[in-house]
Amino acid sequence: MFGIFMESLVIFKLYTGLKFLILLFAVSWAYLLLTEKDKRIRLMFVYAPVLILLLFLCPISRKAFVAVGLDGETYYRILWTIPMGVITVYAMCRLFGKHKRIGLVVTAGMIMACGSYVYSSPYISKAENLYHIPDEVVAICDMIKPAHEDAHVMVVVPEELVYYVRQYNANIKMPYGREMIASQWDYYDKVHAAMEETEEIVIGDLVEATREVYCQYIVLSPTRLVEGDPADYGLQMIGNIDGYRLYKDPVTAAVVEEWDQYYEEE
Amino acid sequence: MIVFQIISLIFWLIVIPFGLGLLPVILLPEKERSVGTIFLSGYLFWFALFELVGIPVVIFKVYHGYSLLVVLFAAISITLALAGVSYTLIRRKKGYAIVLPGKADWKSISIEDKLFWLLFVLIVGFQLYMSFTRASFDGDDSYYVVQGVIAQQTDTLYRINPNTGRSAPLDVRHALALIPIWEAFVGTVSGLHVTLVAHSVIPFILLPLSYLVYFKIGQKLFAEKKDRLPVFMILMALFQMFGNVSIYTNETFLLTRTWQGKSVAGNFILPAVFWIFLCLFEKEAGERKRKDELGYWLLLGALNLASGVSSSLAVMLSALLVAGLAFLFAIKERKFVTLVKAGLTCIPSVAYVLVYLIISR
Repeated sequence: MFGIFMESLVIFKLYTGLKFLILLFAVSWAYLLLTEKDKRIRLMFVYAPVLILLLFLCPISRKAFVAVGLDGETYYRILWTIPMGVITVYAMCRLFGKHKRIGLVVTAGMIMACGSYVYSSPYISKAENLYHIPDEVVAICDMIKPAHEDAHVMVVVPEELVYYVRQYNANIKMPYGREMIASQWDYYDKVHAAMEETEEIVIGDLVEATREVYCQYIVLSPTRLVEGDPADYGLQMIGNIDGYRLYKDPVTAAVVEEWDQYYEEE
Repeated sequence: MIVFQIISLIFWLIVIPFGLGLLPVILLPEKERSVGTIFLSGYLFWFALFELVGIPVVIFKVYHGYSLLVVLFAAISITLALAGVSYTLIRRKKGYAIVLPGKADWKSISIEDKLFWLLFVLIVGFQLYMSFTRASFDGDDSYYVVQGVIAQQTDTLYRINPNTGRSAPLDVRHALALIPIWEAFVGTVSGLHVTLVAHSVIPFILLPLSYLVYFKIGQKLFAEKKDRLPVFMILMALFQMFGNVSIYTNETFLLTRTWQGKSVAGNFILPAVFWIFLCLFEKEAGERKRKDELGYWLLLGALNLASGVSSSLAVMLSALLVAGLAFLFAIKERKFVTLVKAGLTCIPSVAYVLVYLIISR
């Protein structure tokens, strides 16, 4: 039980990022505890957060959370039921009362100093198009898209593009997707092993793996070293998009075309 | 084409929710029937409706479910929005009214407060600009956004593995949280690709919607000191922008994963629970008619159903929050009936869980 409590405490720490914003929230909450007269506000913004936090840290809640089939990794979302922003800002507005201008400047300064600016996140970059996916993906997908929705088209792409291909065209299949990349899963896939799990991509191994799953297209990253000449294995380069080399495998393509024709006649 | 798409987006994302919102506000007190409340109620009602129409289609229609859902949902939405508008217009002659913002309201605000409001608008404008011009990478998009793309491009619902494109059994864990499909719906009726809708359009609705909830909360908190509201809103907007202390906070989700159901849960559904409770238990509540209170409880019921659109966890969280707050208020007011009413609003959540359990067997 103590172990589960400690785990929940760690989740709480990770949630707060150990930044001073949580301190600002705590001070604001304490101010409301001491001064707020309105009972309904005390209930919602003073007492309820304490109960929620206790519930969050209680090992039984965490056990119950997982027992009802919810993903343990989303346990932190219980903390979303504590409106930290509202509590902090409301308390500060009350604290500074009529001195709105001073209150605004001081509180804004404290929020900026104690928090973390969202747009400085490494996950945010300039959008290349309205889809907010890399232009290379759009170009690759447009080149290989199926002639009609029932046609089978499969492509293997470097890891950095895996997330985007099917966000643009869901008719393009992939031998593997995010499930092979995310660290929380530990699956094995032969194509992924040949494409990503070696220092150099051994073309012979890769082609063997892609032919097993009838994958007609291969995209090679400009940053990866390659052992062997793709042409020696029958691959045809059909495009080079910002360094990404797009190959078609005529052997697989012929097999897939046969299927497509068969299903069309059926 | 672009003009049609923009008009269509305005129609589906502003006109229809507003028309729908005119229905639930019938039961609210007249002073509460403001444009903001109508819009918020409209979205809660619209999301709840999407769950009601969408879940049976997802479960029972293996092929061509999406096209059926689009037709059904569009027809029902338009019909109900027209009903809302018609009721308001017809009853207007008999004294029924909604509160529209007037010149007098704006004139009564001091110049300083007007400048504060302008600053707030600029901050939110900046956030919208950033959401449009900046791409936020999130691995979950390859699952959730792709569910919408699959719906649009293959006309199936939750029966294809988003990662690979292979056929799969019904994805029970996500099949009841229909926000990716709602975004696909918005795209289809506007002639737009769902990924574009999710990343470039939806923030223009969900960000203001989130601030609208905070505005309504602020109105209740500062009912007697209205001049503090613009400062409250500026600071709330800053808190969202600097609340990125970890990847887990709802503030981070609001500005980096706006289009995902989780963000809707954390930044619209859950804060709306506090707004509705502040309305239900405001100071002059004792004088209020029972009918007015009924409106809020029904809105809370719609919220509990609407929460399902975002995620199955949101259903639990909103129901627990409603139950918890109702418990505290029941003790404060020594009224057991408060708990009973709150329990009734959670019936949609219970139904959701039951459906989940049945289809996961």
